[in-house]
Amino acid sequence: MAGFISFLENRVMPVAGRIAEQKHLQAIRDGIILTMPLLIIGSLFLIIGFIPIPGYSDFMSGIFGDKWLTKLLYPVNATFDIMALIVSFGVAYRLAEKYKVDPLSAGAISVASFLLATPYTTMFTPEGASTAVEVGGVIPVTLMGSKGLFVAMILALLSTEIYRKIIQKKIVITMPDGVPPAVARSFVALIPASVVLLVVWLLRILIENTSFHSIHNIVSDLLVGPLNALGSSMFGAIIAVLMVQLLWSLGLHGAAIVGGVMDPIWLSLMDQNRAVFQADPTGELPNVITKQFFDLWIYAGGSGATLALVVLMILRARSEQMKNIGRLSIGPGLFNINEPVTFGMPIVMNPLLIIPFILAPIVLVIVSYLAMELGWVARPSGVAVPWTTPPIISGYLATGGKISGSVLQLVNFVISLLIYYPFFRLWDKQKLAEEQAESNSSNASVPL
Amino acid sequence: MNILLCCNAGMSTSLLVQKMEQAAKEKGLDSKIWAVSADEVKRHIDQADVLLLGPQVRYKLKEMKKEGEARGIPVDVISTTDYGTLNGKNVLEFALRLKK
Repeated sequence: MAGFISFLENRVMPVAGRIAEQKHLQAIRDGIILTMPLLIIGSLFLIIGFIPIPGYSDFMSGIFGDKWLTKLLYPVNATFDIMALIVSFGVAYRLAEKYKVDPLSAGAISVASFLLATPYTTMFTPEGASTAVEVGGVIPVTLMGSKGLFVAMILALLSTEIYRKIIQKKIVITMPDGVPPAVARSFVALIPASVVLLVVWLLRILIENTSFHSIHNIVSDLLVGPLNALGSSMFGAIIAVLMVQLLWSLGLHGAAIVGGVMDPIWLSLMDQNRAVFQADPTGELPNVITKQFFDLWIYAGGSGATLALVVLMILRARSEQMKNIGRLSIGPGLFNINEPVTFGMPIVMNPLLIIPFILAPIVLVIVSYLAMELGWVARPSGVAVPWTTPPIISGYLATGGKISGSVLQLVNFVISLLIYYPFFRLWDKQKLAEEQAESNSSNASVPL
Repeated sequence: MNILLCCNAGMSTSLLVQKMEQAAKEKGLDSKIWAVSADEVKRHIDQADVLLLGPQVRYKLKEMKKEGEARGIPVDVISTTDYGTLNGKNVLEFALRLKK
């Protein structure tokens, strides 16, 4: 066990540190966060649109007319469908910030280069016609959402790198003193912005002459396809969870570090489900693994599925220390925050408790994946439930209102309870013995 | 005395903020203590006298120290034991020691 801990410290820790500190990954992670509030608001409307009560739809159209659902879903389209546009700005902004160059200009340039890479055409089937025709002069909504996510990210990084290199080499138009700073700043961005747009423009022209036709096609064929295949598999999910747990075992925020790499993939898988669900709430959803799969079914109580452990502490702890930490942790734990447990118990660097801490989530991934894959439990519908939503409620909401989502959370809770129990018992016993030894020795030193 | 705390999302540090505020009150200390997510630190650090990191984001220490040094603000990581037990008193004293 000591060998295992030192393996974690010497091998896993440095790699994790490098990943976590990597500027571009950080920028992607921090940039994507910009979309989260929007997706949550969009999800609210999605939930209201598809409340699974018989007769609900008729009731709503009775009050608001036939088009009620279309109108209700306007905000869904305005949030989910512009995900890539927001990410394009956000990632560039965060990266520019790290290079200490004007983030606002970098963001604006990035959005322009993203649009420059996007063909302004869409397929449209006119009423009464059977074949779709290509229509020009539109910004295609499909490429502004999750389908454009990776192109947006790549171009945000590329354009900001070009931008900052030119700025840092001081190849800029400088205004004489006395010119208002805001005006001067816009001139500073002039040369770098033209270089960025020139590069992206040439890139697009070049690619248009290949069989790929657009940057979007290249990225989806060569990058997104393979990444999604890996990210949506049970194997990929187990590896991801294993990494999160190993990092947390060292006391590092595993979910944040792994999420920095995996979030774009999980987010686009989530949105694939959302698109299908929105078109037909009874249709079969393509993906089991999405962002919600981890947040809501695996990590009840926080990374490591520690809610069960906290409940054990409250109900069965005999040592004062475990009772106290249980009381301290149950409130935050219900909202999936578990630092008091991981650091307080502690689980971090604790050879005994690391075992269930790693084992429980992996077992839960296997159980949940199979239950959803076999169709016993509804798959996540693409509703972006915040990760702080308490279990049972979150399982219901995230499946688009299916009881089976909550039932699986209950089952998972029981499974993690069973996995944690023997280890909890051992640790509690040890703490109790320490407490008794302490009170004995203090009694001995102060004789009555 | 303005104490800024940060962790990944600013959630678990905000638990600690409550305990630290209590401890500050008992000491009769006039202080502002608040928690933000790591990517918001830059927008808040100018109002802070000291910046404390949750131990789970200690991989950000180097980056945060740079921000702190540019402004003459001490930056450090909270001890895991104090963090886990939400020991507001210890963390407050830690912050006060750093400031000196």
